[in-house]
Amino acid sequence: MRTDDLINALARETEPQSRLQLPGAALRALAAGLAVGVALVVIFLNIRPDIGVALPVVLAKAGFSGLASAAAIPLLLQLSRPGRAPGWRIAGLIGFFVLAFLIAAVGLLGEAPGDRMSAWTGGKFPWCVATIPVLAAPAGGFLFWLMRDLAPTQLGLTGASLGAAAGGIGAMSYAMYCPMDSQAFVATWYGVAIGLCAAVGALVGTRFMRW
Amino acid sequence: MVEAEAKLKALMLAGLGGDEAAHRQLLTEISTHLRAYFRFRLQAYPEDAEDLVQETLIAIHTKRHTYDPAYPVTAWIYAIARYRMIDLYRRRKRRGVQIPIDDVEGLFANADDAAADAKRDVAHLLKHLPEKQRAAITLVKLEGLSVHDAAQRLNLSESDIKISIHRGMKKLSLLITEEAA
Repeated sequence: MRTDDLINALARETEPQSRLQLPGAALRALAAGLAVGVALVVIFLNIRPDIGVALPVVLAKAGFSGLASAAAIPLLLQLSRPGRAPGWRIAGLIGFFVLAFLIAAVGLLGEAPGDRMSAWTGGKFPWCVATIPVLAAPAGGFLFWLMRDLAPTQLGLTGASLGAAAGGIGAMSYAMYCPMDSQAFVATWYGVAIGLCAAVGALVGTRFMRW
Repeated sequence: MVEAEAKLKALMLAGLGGDEAAHRQLLTEISTHLRAYFRFRLQAYPEDAEDLVQETLIAIHTKRHTYDPAYPVTAWIYAIARYRMIDLYRRRKRRGVQIPIDDVEGLFANADDAAADAKRDVAHLLKHLPEKQRAAITLVKLEGLSVHDAAQRLNLSESDIKISIHRGMKKLSLLITEEAA
């Protein structure tokens, strides 16, 4: 096809375009992902039995997790449209991981020297590192669906921010079940799990977000 | 650059509002920038340049709702053009091609209807070719017909068309070097 003919063909379909309402769409995707994630916890893991007494600490853990999504979403939305420099939004996402490190370090310093190891590792393999990415998958899927209609041009970074946003939602869901309340444990392993989600997002993004 | 931004933005906004003529003019203007840009960047693969112009125009058209008027339209266009170029090389798995590290000004620095000019020159040189070669080249290379369709149109076999194009192109390139000398 000649380029002139192509231009004429394209110009024949010029129905007016409505403006995107991206923050709202992203929040709906995250809310839907959280709903499915919590449902998965209820079905497969059970909500922790002491949720009544432990509510403040559950909320603190969920709030910490939500910070990851809050830090990642501005970057994701910026990258979802061509020609927009990420700017401070990258620092926001890195800031979450720095914060996680600081919270873990302060938590460890607050423990008696003999208890530090068990407070940090929980005494066994931190299963949340494997479970949080699974619980993050629904939110990741909804965000991915949202991105299909958009036009990200830096796929690795876009995928990483999508993964981190979904990982935060996965960790929020997991906090409903997670029996480990040590500050150092949560900050470290939730942070690692969310970082893992970002890495998976970057890999998936470069392969499957192409348009 | 500043002029290009102001002009293209006005066309873009009108097009987003449903103005067909503005949208057509926008795509036409962008295509001249893209052609100059891709031809210069892809000198090793000239046959890819026009493909990329078309792919980028389609991307610009189908993703036009992602443009936010608060931001420069030239940066939006450039990011899509660059993305399509990188994607083409990923798909073709061509190694060793340098993806240019330039910026949006590189795309809008050169704007011209190089395609039309080039075609006019060739049309002039074509007069020096035998009838059969001239007809085959005009139909396939300039009008974009397939070899099969050109063969039917001229009532010749497909291999006849291919040979005519091959010989004609050889003679044309000789004529072009002579004219340049």
